[in-house]
Formats: sequence, C-alpha cells, structure tokens
Amino acid sequence: MGSLWLACSQEPNTGEDPEVTTRGSVEVTAQLVEIRGEFVNRADYDYAFVMKYKVLEVHRGKVDSDFIYVAHYNPEKPRDRVADERVSDVGGTLQKFHAGDIHRMALETPIDDYFMGGIINRYFEEYKGPIYWAVWTNPVSK
Amino acid sequence: MVFTSHIFLFYFLPFVLFVYYLLPRGRNFFLLCASYVFYGWWQPWFVFLMFFATWVNYLGGIAITRPGATGRSRKLALTLSVGVSLSLLGFFKYFMFLENNLNDLLALLGSENFSIYVVTLPIGISFYIFQSLSYSVDVYRGESPPVRSFFDFACYVALFPQLIAGPIVRYNTIADQLVERDHTVQKFSSGTALFILGFAKKILLANPMGEIADSVFAANSPATIDAWFGVTAYAFQIYFDFSGYSDMAIGLGRMFGFEFLRNFNAPYLADSITDFWRRWHISLSTFLRDYLYIPLGGNRKGTRRTYLNLAIVMLLGGLWHGASWVFVIWGAYHGALLCFERWRGKESLYNSLPRPVRVAITFVLVLFSWVLFRSPDIQQAFDFFGAMFGVLKPEGGSILLAAELYTRGHLVLMAICAAFAFQPLQAFDWAPTITWKKMVILILLFLVAIMMMFVQAFNPFLYFQF
Amino acid sequence: MKPEKRKQLFLIGIFLAILLAEGVTHTTMDLMKNQRPVAADLFLQVPSQENLRNYEENLEEGSWLVQNLRPVMQVLRFAVLGDLGKKAVAGREGWLFYDLGIQYLTERSQPVRPGESTPDEVVEAIVSFRDRLAERGIHLLVVPAPGKASVYPEMLTARALNLDHPVNVRTLQLLEQLENEAIELVNLFDLYQSEKNKDSISGPNNLYLIQDTHWSPKGMEMAAEKVANRLQELGWVEKGNTDYGLKEVPLSRHGDVIRMTQIPGIDDWYEPETIQASQVVRKESGEIYADDPHSEILVLGDSFLRIYEHDEPGSGGFVAHLARDLGKPLTSIINDGGASTLVRQELYRKPEMLAGKKVVIWEFVERDIRFGTEGWQDVPLPDANQEI
Repeated sequence: MGSLWLACSQEPNTGEDPEVTTRGSVEVTAQLVEIRGEFVNRADYDYAFVMKYKVLEVHRGKVDSDFIYVAHYNPEKPRDRVADERVSDVGGTLQKFHAGDIHRMALETPIDDYFMGGIINRYFEEYKGPIYWAVWTNPVSK
Repeated sequence: MVFTSHIFLFYFLPFVLFVYYLLPRGRNFFLLCASYVFYGWWQPWFVFLMFFATWVNYLGGIAITRPGATGRSRKLALTLSVGVSLSLLGFFKYFMFLENNLNDLLALLGSENFSIYVVTLPIGISFYIFQSLSYSVDVYRGESPPVRSFFDFACYVALFPQLIAGPIVRYNTIADQLVERDHTVQKFSSGTALFILGFAKKILLANPMGEIADSVFAANSPATIDAWFGVTAYAFQIYFDFSGYSDMAIGLGRMFGFEFLRNFNAPYLADSITDFWRRWHISLSTFLRDYLYIPLGGNRKGTRRTYLNLAIVMLLGGLWHGASWVFVIWGAYHGALLCFERWRGKESLYNSLPRPVRVAITFVLVLFSWVLFRSPDIQQAFDFFGAMFGVLKPEGGSILLAAELYTRGHLVLMAICAAFAFQPLQAFDWAPTITWKKMVILILLFLVAIMMMFVQAFNPFLYFQF
Repeated sequence: MKPEKRKQLFLIGIFLAILLAEGVTHTTMDLMKNQRPVAADLFLQVPSQENLRNYEENLEEGSWLVQNLRPVMQVLRFAVLGDLGKKAVAGREGWLFYDLGIQYLTERSQPVRPGESTPDEVVEAIVSFRDRLAERGIHLLVVPAPGKASVYPEMLTARALNLDHPVNVRTLQLLEQLENEAIELVNLFDLYQSEKNKDSISGPNNLYLIQDTHWSPKGMEMAAEKVANRLQELGWVEKGNTDYGLKEVPLSRHGDVIRMTQIPGIDDWYEPETIQASQVVRKESGEIYADDPHSEILVLGDSFLRIYEHDEPGSGGFVAHLARDLGKPLTSIINDGGASTLVRQELYRKPEMLAGKKVVIWEFVERDIRFGTEGWQDVPLPDANQEI
C-alpha cells in the first residue's frame, strides 16, 4: 500500500541534470524503441550495444532522423557504475534499459571517434547510417 | 516465481504471510489470489489454462455427486473431466514430441517435414493436472466429499507452496484442511525450519553439484572417472534440488496451516529398487499406484498381468517426467528392475549381501537411470555409458575437465552431499522440534544460503520442467 | 510461556526479520536518495512477462543488501573453498586459465548454447571474406591465435603431463578445412609446440602469461616473426626500409583472468607477474612505433593484438613487432573480443582503412571458433568509392 501511494505521489522526472545538459554535442529526449536480442554476458569483454530510439525532443545539436541508433557502453551495468579505466567519460542515473522507456541522453557521433572497443550492432544489415555514442543517460518518467 | 528468488523470499512471502494472518476470514480466497500471482509471474496467460482445468474438474465433481445421478452419468462426468484434463496435458506436454517423431518418421520415408504449432510447456502442468484429476476420481470413488466452495477447490489446485514441483497433494489428504485447519506456533516454526533446510539444500548443495554435472554432461567423451564423478554429482543435484523443493513446499504449507505428506525418505539408503521407489518422490509413486496401477488390476489379475501393469505404470511414469524417449527408457529401465524384483518376491538379486553393499549396488543402479534422465537424447546417453565403462576413450580436450571438476570446493561439497545423502535423519523428521542449538544452525544456514543466492546465477528447480 | 514455545517464536521472529530486512532496507535507501522505491514500480506498468522480469531484476540488482553482501560472499568463497567463480580456473603452480577457453576444448563439437558457432559457419565466413578481398586484389592471411590451454594443457591439470595427443582436435580440423579451401594461414600451434619441445616451460621463456589469457612477449614476438616470414615467402610483401629498434620495458601486472573473477581485493592474494616487454622504436629518431593508415598491410584482430600495443608499455605488441620484422609501418583495427565479426563491421564503417591495401592479416583467438561474439557473420567490404 505504501509503495502504491509512493508510486502515485512522485513528481514527473524530465531527466535534466547538469551533466546531461553540458556533455556531448547532441542532447535528446528519446524513447527506447527496441533492444534487439540479449546483452552479451561475458566478464572478459567490454563492449557497446546499439539500441534503436525514437527522438521525442532535441535539446541541443541536431540529429539526422526521427529514429536514431545509440550505442551504450556495457549496457547491463547501471549508468552510475559503468565508467571504468578504459571508458571513463560515460555515466548517468539510469539503472536499467527497458524497451519503451524514455531517456534523456547526451550523445556524440560518429561513435568510432569516441569509442575504440567492440560494438554490438544488430542493425548492421539494415542500417548503415551514423551510430551515436551515449555519453550520459538519465531516465525520464512518462 | 521460484522459492529461491529475491522477489519470492523478500517480497512475496512476507507480504502473503502478513495479509493471510491479518485476515479474519476468506483466507483460502486470498491464498488462491496469491497462488495465481505466484504462478502467473512467469507467464501470466497460463493462469487461464490452470483456471480452465480447475473449472472442468469442479464441474465434473458436481456432475458426479449430483443428487439422482445414475451410475452411467457419473461415469460419463468422470470420463469427461479426466479426458479434458489429460487432453490438456497431452497437448501442452506431448504435442511437440509427437510432431518431432512424426517428422523423423517422414524424413526416413523421404517426405518433407511439417510444423503446425510451437507449443510452450506451461510450468508445473503435470503436477496441477494430476492434482485436479485426483479430485474427480476421489469424489467418484466416494473417498472424498465434493467441495462446497469453488474457491476452496481452486485454492487446492493452485496452492502455491506445492504448485509447481510438488509434492503431488491428493485431494483426499487435504479435503478437511481446506475447510478447517489449525494455525499454531509449533506448526509455523516447524514449517520455518523445513523451509530453511530445503532452501539451504537447494542453494548450498544442489546448485554447486549442478555445475559439476553440467560440465561433465556437456563434455565430449569424458574420462571414465570424470563420467562417474559427473553422474554422482547429478544424483546429488537432483536429490537435494527436488527434496529441497519438497521440504520448502511442506514448510510453506505448514506456515499456512496445511499438513502435506512426506515426499522423500532417504532414497539413497534404499537397498533395492523396490525400496528406492518407497523412498523417492513418494507422492508420485503412491499417486501412480492408486490411480493407475490399482485401476489396471494391480496384482489381482495374475502374475503376468502384474508385471505388465508394473511396466505400464513405470513407462507412463517416465513419460510423465518429460516428452522424450530418454524418459521412456528411464521408465522402462525402472519398470524392468521392479518386475525382476517382484519376480524374486520383492527381493533384489543381491539381497543376501550385507546392507552397505546392497545400498551401494542400488545406488549404482539408480545412477545408470540418472544418466538417461540427464542426457538430452538417447545417443548422448549411450555415449555417456560408453565413457563410464571405458568403451569410449577420452579424446581431445576432454582430459582437461579434471581442472574444472576436482577443485577443493567441489570435493568438499561432494563429501558433504555424500554425508547427508547416505544418512537416515531427514529434514522432515528433524524440523518439528526446535532447540536452541537447532535454531543457531538454522539461522546460520539461512543467512549463508541467502548470501550464496546473491552470487549464484538464476537456477530454477530441476522438476520445474516436468 | 513455555520454553518450547519461546524457542519457536524466536525462530519465527528471526526468520520474518530476515525476510523483511531487504524490503525495508531497499525502500529506505531509495527514499534517502530521494527516489521512488523500486518496489513501487510494480504498480506503474502493465504486468506483462517482460515487465515482470525487468521488475524482478531491478529489485535484485538495485538491492543494497545484494550489492554489499555479494562481494563479501565472493571473498569468503574464494578464501574458504578457493573458488574463483565461473570465469576462471586455477591450474598448477599458480597458472590461471579462462574458463571459456577450457569449455571450447572440453565440450562436444555441436553448439551447446544459443549463439555458438559451428566450424562450417567459420569456414564460410573466412572464405567469403577472402573472396571479397580477392575481388579487389587484396590477399588474406589468417592467423588463429592458440588458446592458452591448447599450448599449456599440462599447466592446467597434471593429467595432461606427457600427453600424446593434441587437446584441440577441433581447431586442427578447422585448419585443415581452411587449407582445403586454399585459405592462406599461419599455424602457430606447430610453432609453439616445437618451441616447447626444445625449451623448458618454466621461467621467462613461457609463451603465455601465467595469470593472463594472452601470449607473453616471447610468444607474441615469435608469432609476429612467423607471420612476417610467411608474408615474404608468399611474395605478398617486400621488406621495407624503415629501421626499427627495440626498447626494453619491464612490466609488473596482474593478469586479466584475475580481473575476470570480480572478487574484491583479489589482487592482494596474487603477486603481480613480472614481464620483460619491448617497445618498437624508430632507430633514427627514437620515436615509438605508430600505425600508418596508408600502409599496404591491414591487420585485423582482437585482444591478442591489443596487449602490449595499446596496453602498457604501448607500441610493443604484435602489430609493432610485425612492422619491425617487415620494416614498414602497418594499419590496424583492434577489436577486443570481436575478431569473428565485429572487427569486420568496424572495417565496414571505416572504408578509408582499406584504401591502398594489398594484404589483410586477420587474427582471431582459437576459442572464438565457437564463442566468437555475434558469431561468424558474412560482412560486406566497404564501398570501394568511399575508401579514399
């Protein structure tokens, strides 16, 4: 009951914070349309995973289309614990990726200029355009 | 939902216990709702299937006991409810098996394969279908009165403590408790103790043994000693996994005032296969005895028919475990051994040997059956037998398995498993009385098992697949 | 109250307290962080199968108790039972091995889990890549890097001492299949075996690191030399005139297998491994080796190329040493754990890397034959018009 009350009594969250509004060259609010397949579960392997988003609002910079493809570093980890020795400039407050959720993100593009590791891109066959690199990812409440 | 999951242990169980004891009445209805949430947590739509099976058998019970019902109409009602229940089980559990076998046959004849549906097996269907069936049969036989409330009956079928992997609770053993049952501190505390012991069995013993068994059964022709080590680990895994689940189920039942019957009684201390089946999955063997073996004629129709009945029961028992030829052969193997012992007057061939030797031989015979049970297909089962008897030599890298198998941790846990599996004291008998010493053991066990659960990957109970 | 009942109530009380501890702690921690309690999320979404799984995972992974007790248990398990977890296997004399590499050698040849590849898929992908390159006049040289347990099975288990057969039959069969398809490859397995036969396996002559999945500087340098010789034998590359020298750099490091265990503080239990690496430098200027995007040779590969090259000491890995042996700088794309497919996808995104190339060298670790990330997909080459 307490949880139900708390669920209904929270203020909506726009995902805005000093990090997401200043990092990266592009800032958007977008809905995570699809996470294709399972994340890779291997302790020896750090990687970025491409997810498909529908752009709802562009706050800074510009994007090429309504749908963008964003790579998140080690997506199985909460964003506040994802930065490591190798990739130190990523973060956010998002705990977990779920299709359908809305995120406010600071992005860079093209990804190869910012990330040197493995990129799991399950859209490779159908999409050859730019892939964005997620620098900061915050959840937005609907 | 799984008993050894975070959500069940820390959220579902305390919430359900709290509300249950707060309610002055309507507890069965609340338990029913909780059980549907528990069951639907994995795949919400399958709740409707369970509801349908429940409804059919409930209506069957009404038709069977309707005032003025003739013998013929009672029989028709029983046939319908049993027929619908078995059809559901047949479709969801055996359709793919049938389709695959037909396709294999067509391939042999040079025809093209076909595919009609991909049927997903609803978790625990074998258990709840058997339970709802037992109601219709018990009522038909006059061994139990019909239920007064649909919700009581639905609560019996769906009761979450034993819903997914048993023990199979027969209606006539619980009918009175559905109407009225005691809730005592003694019952709750013994339930708590049993739950903790079952939880620890699963997390601390069964899961690590499963890791060993998985490595060996995935290996390409393991060495002889590795094969024996692996199948022994599997024997411990399946015992502690399933008996752990039964302990937790019985323990949870007691927390809600129910008393379920014992399901295991030191099965690896059995000194013959006949004895093994008196101690292993007792609720299934007695169910098959009362609802299949005896209706088939049991031992009342002559020696030859007795053997045939035994064989039929064990074959169907095998098939009940899973829609695969390995389970059929597993059932046939046990059926053959039981027939052989029956022929010798319920004595094993090695009955004259000292008891420890009899126990050891029985355990080895059971190990052979676990090879069938664990292997994904017949070919791999026979390859594994080949490895056990040194017919297939280890090749390539399978020799390296030793590094994964014989670690300090595995050897220690294997020894602990053996110590517990080959001793007579059972959790079921240990739990009812609580002493300070037992309490310290239980609390420590619970804390260690919970911490271990935090580092283990998701690991459902083996019997969920049945 | 009877003493019997007091004990029973005490047990029940402790049991319920433990059950409630997580919910109370979790909710309190969430509220302290000014966040909505995760438990409340259940009421905010449709109870679909996917949402319920996510909800359950969020509860567990976001749990303060789980986060704080999990490391404690990992340490305890390691300290009491010597358990390194699922990813690492302890061998003999302090040698550590990556479990996936052992699984590759021990398991049946048919894929056991979803996402695993068959040898035929591997051959198909390599042949296709070779043919696509050949259409543009580019040669392909394939270099499978042996797994540590294939080279040092006896350091994994004493059972493998005096072994009279190879432990990686499946890999050798694949090499044969590739040769039948006229794929040019470098067999490092034979190279290492003959080196082991003539040398002691102890001390600094190890071809692999003791605590790491990768080759030692010696093993790596031998591989580079062998590849350089092969390229010249084939007549694909002529020796260049850039004069490179070596600068010795001692390293002290914990291996990646230790990191994979994710056991907190495990570094304290193991002495770091001391390694003598050598950086490649231009003799004339003393500058450390750097790739040249205009080179006629492109090297693709995984962490076997990354070690010593991008990791410390830098410019001392396979690519730099191959460049030294060939006397010319190279172009490289290194994709950790992604040599089966991802490195070729990266090449597709970087068409300029293929411009002017005559030879592509493709290295992948042996276990990727089965466990290659994203399998062995057929990946097209970048559009030739975009190369420059």
